[in-house]
Amino acid sequence: MGEWSRSVVPIASRLCLLYLINKYLGTPVLTYGPSMLPTLNITGSLVLVERISTRTGKLRPGDIVIFRSPETPRKVVCKRLIGMEGDQVTYVVDPKNSDRCETIVVPKGHVWVEGDNIYNTKDSRNFGAIPYGLLEGRAFWTLLPRKDFGSLAPKPR
Amino acid sequence: MRQWRIIAKEAMARASIIGKFLCLLHVTDAYVLSSNHVLGPSMLPTLNITGDVVLVEHLSHRLGKLGSGDLVLVRSPLDPKKTLTKRIVAMEGDKVTFSLDPTRSHSSRSLVVPKGHVWIQGDNLYVSRDSRHFGPLPYGLIEGKVFMRVWPPSSFGLLGE
Repeated sequence: MGEWSRSVVPIASRLCLLYLINKYLGTPVLTYGPSMLPTLNITGSLVLVERISTRTGKLRPGDIVIFRSPETPRKVVCKRLIGMEGDQVTYVVDPKNSDRCETIVVPKGHVWVEGDNIYNTKDSRNFGAIPYGLLEGRAFWTLLPRKDFGSLAPKPR
Repeated sequence: MRQWRIIAKEAMARASIIGKFLCLLHVTDAYVLSSNHVLGPSMLPTLNITGDVVLVEHLSHRLGKLGSGDLVLVRSPLDPKKTLTKRIVAMEGDKVTFSLDPTRSHSSRSLVVPKGHVWIQGDNLYVSRDSRHFGPLPYGLIEGKVFMRVWPPSSFGLLGE
């Protein structure tokens, strides 16, 4: 019994520490899909996500955020933050078919997110403003692919 | 000088043990079981207005084993710093009929809960602010299932339907 605990406890405590860093400081995240072209790669980008901005409320429009999908709760989605609560957001409803724009005010406690590739993305234009509580972190640095290595600049629209 | 080094080393060793224990406690608290203090009138008569200490388990919602009738702790969609305690009335795909003003039963509305969302209501329909006001709640905002009350001792016991 003593021997078993001597080898398991250090592993458990290091996993705990890793978990805490992951949950409260930051973590690398693999993103894939066409919705954030050209900023993120379609076949996969490894980005560094920090969790401090979401907890302290220091997010600004233009930041790239990851959040839990409001339609599929097991999925984590990466999009760009366009509007905070109270902001007025103008968006193109269906860019492939028409130029019609709509303007809404983001409700209290919610944020408006959009993918950079508006022709192939499901975002707030489909599922509406998402509650702030679903946000999990801010992506600030790309690690892979090598050609994209560098900071992910906030890009206000 | 050596004395201080020995003392510092021992202090670091003890601090790291305490740090590891707190880590483990935090992980258990976030992923297995935690205790929460809940208060307010919106869940009368199930929960007291002056405050109860309840045990919340954080496994069911990750395994997808929540259903209607469960008491849940959720993050408020209107104020991300607040957590609410309400009851799940309908899961995604269910049809829910509700009325904003329970004193006038003929003003009721129906809707189908969209994918990835749940419909929550407080047991005390007269004062609760819930899905009838802010709409269906995304499943990702659920933080745990309330299953037991430990304080006050007179109401110690499991909380169910």
